[in-house]
Amino acid sequence: MSTWQEKLNRLRAEKGRFRQMGGPERVARQHAMGKLTARERLDLLLDPGSFVEIGLLAHHQSHHPDLKDKFAPADGVVTGYGTVDGRRVCVAAYDFTVLGGSMGEVGEGKVARLRQMALQWGVPMIWLLDSAGARIQEFTGSQFAKAGDLFREQVMMSGVVPQVAALMGHCAAGTAYIPALADFVPMVKGRSSMALGGPHLVKAAVGEDVDVNELGGSRVHCEISGCADVEVEDDEACLRAVREFLSYLPSNNREKPPVIPCDDPSDRYIDDMVNVVPTNPRQVYDMRHVIRRIVDHGHFFEIKPRWARNIVVGFARLEGHPVGIVANQPLYLGGVLDVDAADKAARFIMLCDAFNVPLLFLQDIPGFLVGTKVERQGIIRHGAKMLYAVSEATVPKVTVIVRKAYGAGYFVMCGRGYEPDLLVAWPTAEISVMGPEGATNIIYRKEITAADDPDRVWAERTAEFRKLIDPYIAAGYGYIDDVIEPGETRRVVIQGFRMAATKRVQRPWKKHGVMPV
Amino acid sequence: MIEVKAMMVGVVVRVDAGPGTPVDEDQPIVTLESMKMELPIPSPRSGLVREVRVHVGDVVQEGDVVALLEEREG
Repeated sequence: MSTWQEKLNRLRAEKGRFRQMGGPERVARQHAMGKLTARERLDLLLDPGSFVEIGLLAHHQSHHPDLKDKFAPADGVVTGYGTVDGRRVCVAAYDFTVLGGSMGEVGEGKVARLRQMALQWGVPMIWLLDSAGARIQEFTGSQFAKAGDLFREQVMMSGVVPQVAALMGHCAAGTAYIPALADFVPMVKGRSSMALGGPHLVKAAVGEDVDVNELGGSRVHCEISGCADVEVEDDEACLRAVREFLSYLPSNNREKPPVIPCDDPSDRYIDDMVNVVPTNPRQVYDMRHVIRRIVDHGHFFEIKPRWARNIVVGFARLEGHPVGIVANQPLYLGGVLDVDAADKAARFIMLCDAFNVPLLFLQDIPGFLVGTKVERQGIIRHGAKMLYAVSEATVPKVTVIVRKAYGAGYFVMCGRGYEPDLLVAWPTAEISVMGPEGATNIIYRKEITAADDPDRVWAERTAEFRKLIDPYIAAGYGYIDDVIEPGETRRVVIQGFRMAATKRVQRPWKKHGVMPV
Repeated sequence: MIEVKAMMVGVVVRVDAGPGTPVDEDQPIVTLESMKMELPIPSPRSGLVREVRVHVGDVVQEGDVVALLEEREG
């Protein structure tokens, strides 16, 4: 019979052994790659001393010849819960120093338990991904039949608790679908990737020679595919981004987003706003300068800043309350909407609505892109996603028409028909089915072609049409709520959100709509 | 070297940042006229413009490389 002292010694020794992860050599290699270890990452992500680990003493139970003599502390994934800014979260940090952070049966059992807890407790689920993907030896042959429940569970969690999947290493297959279903996906620049099939599989399956960054690196997903949200410099910046993202969202869909103290005056007049936006509709500007002047302390957390740059989406605060911003970006493509921009906006609107974050729309929209290329890409279908998302959103919505509000672009950017709680325009607003030049070409085509001096007739008709698209006409009919000075924008939108804070919307019963994906 | 491409068809009305010019992300390199607007082709990253392949008056097509950019790290 061992004594208490002996029992405690064994417990302490075991825990010490498991906390060493893959051992000093593998930890050194992880550091040499510019990466922190799973445990160091948790220290940075969570409030100091808040982490409670579950499953430290787990290890693989495989009898496979490749594995049976290998020690796998925590089975390659550190799991548990803790707090971020004092609010509880569940987190799974894949440990690349243990069998490449591969997803084994025991480890996945731990993560499954954590997912269940996150859902039942109503707290965010965070994955720090640095994993080779499924541990093939444990899923040999048709044992695979048991796998896959994690993605179904992620779908069940969607819109209930925030899900964050941070890519902090090279991830393939299994670990690439987790981000696909997550609400926020930061990627560490140059050191992370995701792909359904890694380079070896790609070579074998389709004969393509490609390196891991070219295939699914941070630049690919943050600039081309749109599968990730932000590219960050290193692990520290990545974990800061996760903490900031969570600061804008409630812990679950039944709560309101957290409010922080704010000393930026709510009625602050923005003197230099008129210097940002040219009155000449031919000239462009950077919409982010408008956003930063409106929001608290000029701080804007942009989502997908390098993908579909013709629309800007992201989080900020007004009077300390989180707000989601959807704004056209004249700097890119004049702010015209294409398939990717519509996808980007629709997904962001759905995220905000799911988690009770009010939406601010800033319109300067020349319309949807037209032509064979975009029609073949299905611009109608993609544009419909935005219509769908903005219609479904029942959170407070405030719309400011900065300049152009043309055609269906005006609709999807929360025009009058989409139930904004407040709809105001700057004196520069041009609300119209289309721009004067395009409209003239269509309405007066016969007259212009028959005229002796077509250019003069065209110019006259265009000037006449331009007079019809004046915000005072829309205001005169009561279709817009007010025409405001650009400098008043912060005060006016804050008042709108204050009034709409208690908004309740009843919708007809349905199982779910049919999203035009 | 990053290829800076035209986002859509248009006429070059201005070269904003010639070869050797350091640029910040989003700073215009070339400006096109298209869709009744002056549309800048902003720099996709911070860096140094190495080469500009178009001249004022040129018609460029979507996807045409208008400039080469050497990325500045950090």
